[in-house]
Amino acid sequence: MDPRIERQLLETRRHFFGKSAAGIGTAALASLLNPTLFADDKPNKISEPHGVMNAFHHAPTAKRVIYLFMAGAPSQIDLLDYKPKLNEMFDKELPDSIRKGQRITTMTSGQSRLPIAPSAFKFKQHGKAGTWVSELLPHTAKMVDDLCVIKTVNTEAINHDPAITYIQTGSQLPGRPSMGAWLSYGLGKSTEELPSFVVLHSTWSAKRDAQALYSRLWGSGWLPSEHQGVSLRSKGDPVLYLSNPDGVSAKVRRNMLDGLSKLNQEEFAQTGDPEINTRIAQYEMAYKMQTSVPELTDISKEPKHILDMYGPDVHKKGTFAANCLQARRLAERGVRFTQIFIRGWDQHGNLPRDIRLQCKDVDQGSAALIQDLKQRGMLDDTLVIWGGEFGRTVYCQGTLTKTQYGRDHHPRCFSIWMAGGGIKPGMVYGETDDFSYNVIENPIHFHDLNTTILHCLGINHEKLTYRFQGRDFRLTDIHGNLIKDILV
Amino acid sequence: MNKTCYSLLAILLLNNNLLFPTTAISEDRIDFNRDIKPLFSETCYTCHGPDKNTRETDLRLDTEESVFAELDSGTHGIVKGKPEESEVYLRLTSKDSDMVMPPEDAEKKLAPKQIKLIKQWIVQGAEWKGHWSYTKPVRPEIPKPATIPADGNEIDAFIQQRLLKEGLTPSKRATKEKLIRRVTLDLTGLPPTLKEIDAFLNDNSPGSYEKLVDRLLDSKHYGEQQARFWLDVARYGDTHGLHLDNERSMWPYRDWVISSFNKNDPFDEFTINQLAGDLLPKPSQEQLIASGYNRCNVSTSEGGSINEEVRVRYAIDRVETLGITWLAISFNCTVCHDHKYDPISQKEFYQLFAFYSNIDEKPMDGNALLPPPSIQVPTKDQKTKLDGLNKQIASAKTELQKKIDGLGYKDPGDNQKTKFETLKEYVWIDDSIPAGAVPVTEGKPDKWEFVSAPDHPVYSGKKSVRRSGKGRVQQYFTKATTPLLVSEDDVFFTHVYIDPADPPHELMLQFYDTDWQHRCYWGRDIVQFGATGTPTRLPMGKIPEAGKWVRLEVTAKQVGIPDGTLINGWALTQVEGTVYWDKSGINSKYQQGPKEYESQKAWELAVANIKKSNIPKPILVAIKKETKKRSTKEKKDIHNYFLTKINKKTQKTLKPQLDKVAQLKKKITELNKHIPNTLVMKEKMDPTTETFILTRGEYDKQGEKVTAGIPSNVGSVKIDGPPTRLTLAKWIVHPDHPLTARVTMNRIWQQYFGTGIVKTAEDFGSQGEWPSHPKLLDWLAVEFIESGWDVKHMHKLIVMSSTYQQTSNIKPEHIEKDPFNRLLARGPRYRLDAEMLRDNALAISGLLKNKMGGRGVSPYQPLGIWKEVGYTSSNTANYKQSHGDDLYRRSIYTFWKRTSPPPTMITFDAPSREACSARRARTNTPLQALILMNETQYIEAARILAERLMKEAGDSPEDKIIHGFRICTGRIPNDKEISIIKDIFKQQLEEYKNSPEAAKKLLNVGEAKSDKSLDTTELAAWTMVANLLLNLDETVTKN
Repeated sequence: MDPRIERQLLETRRHFFGKSAAGIGTAALASLLNPTLFADDKPNKISEPHGVMNAFHHAPTAKRVIYLFMAGAPSQIDLLDYKPKLNEMFDKELPDSIRKGQRITTMTSGQSRLPIAPSAFKFKQHGKAGTWVSELLPHTAKMVDDLCVIKTVNTEAINHDPAITYIQTGSQLPGRPSMGAWLSYGLGKSTEELPSFVVLHSTWSAKRDAQALYSRLWGSGWLPSEHQGVSLRSKGDPVLYLSNPDGVSAKVRRNMLDGLSKLNQEEFAQTGDPEINTRIAQYEMAYKMQTSVPELTDISKEPKHILDMYGPDVHKKGTFAANCLQARRLAERGVRFTQIFIRGWDQHGNLPRDIRLQCKDVDQGSAALIQDLKQRGMLDDTLVIWGGEFGRTVYCQGTLTKTQYGRDHHPRCFSIWMAGGGIKPGMVYGETDDFSYNVIENPIHFHDLNTTILHCLGINHEKLTYRFQGRDFRLTDIHGNLIKDILV
Repeated sequence: MNKTCYSLLAILLLNNNLLFPTTAISEDRIDFNRDIKPLFSETCYTCHGPDKNTRETDLRLDTEESVFAELDSGTHGIVKGKPEESEVYLRLTSKDSDMVMPPEDAEKKLAPKQIKLIKQWIVQGAEWKGHWSYTKPVRPEIPKPATIPADGNEIDAFIQQRLLKEGLTPSKRATKEKLIRRVTLDLTGLPPTLKEIDAFLNDNSPGSYEKLVDRLLDSKHYGEQQARFWLDVARYGDTHGLHLDNERSMWPYRDWVISSFNKNDPFDEFTINQLAGDLLPKPSQEQLIASGYNRCNVSTSEGGSINEEVRVRYAIDRVETLGITWLAISFNCTVCHDHKYDPISQKEFYQLFAFYSNIDEKPMDGNALLPPPSIQVPTKDQKTKLDGLNKQIASAKTELQKKIDGLGYKDPGDNQKTKFETLKEYVWIDDSIPAGAVPVTEGKPDKWEFVSAPDHPVYSGKKSVRRSGKGRVQQYFTKATTPLLVSEDDVFFTHVYIDPADPPHELMLQFYDTDWQHRCYWGRDIVQFGATGTPTRLPMGKIPEAGKWVRLEVTAKQVGIPDGTLINGWALTQVEGTVYWDKSGINSKYQQGPKEYESQKAWELAVANIKKSNIPKPILVAIKKETKKRSTKEKKDIHNYFLTKINKKTQKTLKPQLDKVAQLKKKITELNKHIPNTLVMKEKMDPTTETFILTRGEYDKQGEKVTAGIPSNVGSVKIDGPPTRLTLAKWIVHPDHPLTARVTMNRIWQQYFGTGIVKTAEDFGSQGEWPSHPKLLDWLAVEFIESGWDVKHMHKLIVMSSTYQQTSNIKPEHIEKDPFNRLLARGPRYRLDAEMLRDNALAISGLLKNKMGGRGVSPYQPLGIWKEVGYTSSNTANYKQSHGDDLYRRSIYTFWKRTSPPPTMITFDAPSREACSARRARTNTPLQALILMNETQYIEAARILAERLMKEAGDSPEDKIIHGFRICTGRIPNDKEISIIKDIFKQQLEEYKNSPEAAKKLLNVGEAKSDKSLDTTELAAWTMVANLLLNLDETVTKN
């Protein structure tokens, strides 16, 4: 920190602590440390950042992001990328003119045939835009006029670990900060009582053997660890180590913290190290979190019609629907980046059965989230994203019948949707060929997607950099084009 | 006000080079490296630098030759002493928008002040210097007018010279209490005990501090502390790090690092052993273990991965890690193109890459504990035992052979018919499973449930097998001693009885030869093994009628079993329902049951016709050869095998000898189970893998072919030798190497002062930060090399300096002039690292166990953290917490799962160990406060510390408070502090008096037993006082 600021703060703190009695008001302390924090209580006004950025690169359209991550890669062909011509090509070989010698994973590269597997599910057009949506997503279908469906997202990675690391950190190899960490680093904390970057893990219904997640996906890489995502857990303490241990009441904890604060102030008086004051503040914030987090996770005061909107799963902790409601509550409390992960989409075999189960897990919750944000006037400045790490192949892996098939990994096109926060609603963007194999119009590399997400938050992806090993790194590495067409 | 402050901060943070501003303007002499090169590098090198692909003109600002050369235009980039004739200066100041540099649309611009600096440099003669860190360090003169203080050494002269210049004065020596705590924590990672503190306080001899330092350097904990830093750069972990993230065994490497530091191995040896221990002549076990350094990278076995892509990634990671660790060169850029700032070409990168091209390692790690190459690492004791057993077994085998040779076996000729004309029934399962078969239910060893009449239906014999359950229910066996020998025409049969009250949806039979790929089913197609409609999943029709015994049959041909196959496993599978199974077997053309061959010829003939068999492969291959084409050894092996494993008669005669061998084998297997193994490095015998420059770093875009080689512009050390890692390692530790000693000393310095002399410990290139004390760094580097790379000597020098021994109290002028303590007018003061925090609490409480080494242990961790993210079938998806002593080991022995590292570690800035990390951030967050307040280990430590206060100190609360405060901070609290703590104690005591139940609960946190003789209320209150003491800023801080 600049010595001048540090000294000013130091003087103020000294003054403050010198006069204050035991039990420093957290709010006062927090605002003292960071005066911009509580300016963010008026709707539609986005306060200036206070991370490494002290001003937005341009006017933001989103205050926060809720990213619904479908880990394992859902099949675009069975959900959002309608390919009617495939029905006539059941079990026919994928034409070489389409595959063009592209590499495929070693799970199917040894197969003697690459037979086409049309979707077993019915599609219908919905909304004013006439967006095609599979019967698997009836609730999402009702919301299409609020969504922008992008059918042409692509990546180079063809295996889960590198692909999900790539989309989350901009590199296929471990080590770099995740998107949420970049936002925390760039824009600063968005709330004092909760972490700025929250991660939620969901239970899933498809086969148990699901692809792994890795803490690097919400890690801070070489950025300071304060930027890493914090898991809001459905079992045990919602935030790790939040609860006082058995036998320690709030009163006992308060006593201890009051003593700690006094002794640390004493230590500060003796040593003059400003870091001590920061530590005092962190303890106060921890104490505050001990009440704010349980309040956050307690949904007993949510009205019935809201709970009903999210569906019956909302009552089961840790389900995707329950996490969607949690995400809305986090958004209301100023959390900037919430990421909900749900695993179970890696359907190499038994796809029709498993995708049905997974869709049942996510459909109602994600649709309700959009609706809920909308009715609260929050969708305008909340960017919601739904998508996975790559797509799935048109050709079948394993046994093929009309109702039974599997699909391998497909990086060349996959479908996602975005909503709110400055993204055009009721839109379908990009086109793939009749096989959902190649992009024929408006390819969107996921770096472009990340560029656009940062853009909505008022960040120029080329300007948010961190020097490490002599190089100015950024989330989008050396890539990324803004998808202007989908911005409001 | 604050807004301005934050913008200032942002600017400072955005430009790392400004964080530690140089003082060039105020000085007379401009230093090219310190003042000018960073400007060129940051602003100009992209177009006028080392990367030939992005260079836009001939003018390069990174080489002396080009800067002063005549350009095509006839002008010169720089003319010494004459800015007005220097194209560079003219362009920088041009008003013409076509001429001005950097171009108008450039992102990075120079400030007028910076342009003035460049002008000044040209005026002063534009003295050019090669990049500072690529020039061999020369021992500098000890600076004047500073003097070496009586209680310090040469280091202080360099530090004080700079302080003088900046108008700062050194601080006084820290108090002895603080000093012993600081140096003990720094050298061993643990706090001093009260006894040690008292001894030091009472020792007023002039050499008392040095004595203390020597004692600490001799402590075995020194190695544990040093290893911790090294394992961050080596990216050591206990799991593969990618995808399944299973456990892998590398901990002997971790233990080697610890012991190497403790033995004070010279740093050049330490380096060579790790980079190329396997290539040394007759490498010792230790050297092989050390070579495991090269295997620390994350690895994968994800299905569908492309081998070459993965292999390339490993090699890139290895080169990048080597770059950061020894050279502080970032090779990251050079994977795709020439370096933009430093003189490393893409080609040179791939020449380094080529050193790692011929590793005898499969890219897919197989999710195995020991993906080869690996070695066994027996302890001395185990080695002795193993050697003994091996000797015994060798002599037992000789004995056996002698006996075999003495048998005088003569082939009696074939008297066994091997195939019938017609099928003959052979029952395999009835009332029991076949001999030797290992029964399994749903993947777990489990007996089959045999039930009898009259409570259950039985078809044949006395019992039937009953199965009932939800979902897919499988029971099977494998490893039947006498397999079924099957011809294509043979018919498998079984009998089933379906409970009419609870019918299944599907029944399936599966047969095992060398895998389970022969199946057929009745009823619905639910079980998804194999492919339906094929012999791997053949539909047989409707589910059999319930309430009666039905015979199910399938021919071998139908389920794809060729003639001569041996079947030694059978599975009965059902979906839902209750089913009885009985009398199962085969109608076969072969004679079933154990055959007793007395004729070797007949046996060989039978074996030769068999497609799959459990006979060891070399013997099987030999048998299938014509007799005359078999080698003498093969003949002997076949003969021995027959006499010892097949021929019952000879087996009987040989029994004593055979038993002896078997017994010894069992002992060896048993011993091996306890001998650890570790991954090592190994070259392929025949170097066949060629290396190419990979266009844009993509594995499948091979460009020019290259061979292993050393970068040509990093120093001037030339090294002869074959193109191996050993040569590479020797280059790195060559005494004339410009980087190794500087980089290493910088990281060591960083351990003591929080920041290196070069802040960017991972980058000493053009974009790295200019050293705060360049001459000191060179002095340390030369001293390091000339001491024979004596690591302990260097640690001692640093802690013996008076700079290190200063008090860390901060004065206002410190904050004004040197907020980050880079100039060191005061001692270091910052939060302990993650591992030290935990170890400190354990040591303070007395819970710490000093056992060293071994497989990683698993202290307390909240439930479900691994499960939340782990691959379902990973062997690290479920956290298995340790118990007993293993809960209290030093944190360096904590099992490290790289995709989900211990939260108590990463929350305090420990790296994930997935990638090389040369320095840690140091943050201060509420989540950290929560850990120290509430985590089981810390609460338990508070409990046990509280017991110490109650038992060790005097009766008065004051005595206990002073005792506890001293244990935690090393010093005696002042009256005010005592009174604050006393008040808290009273309040907490009050609380627990009102709630004795709460007191009991608190005393149950953690597995360490609570001392029942102490009053629970009081102990609970003291526990919370101890919790407070453990959370004190002073306790968690090195100061």
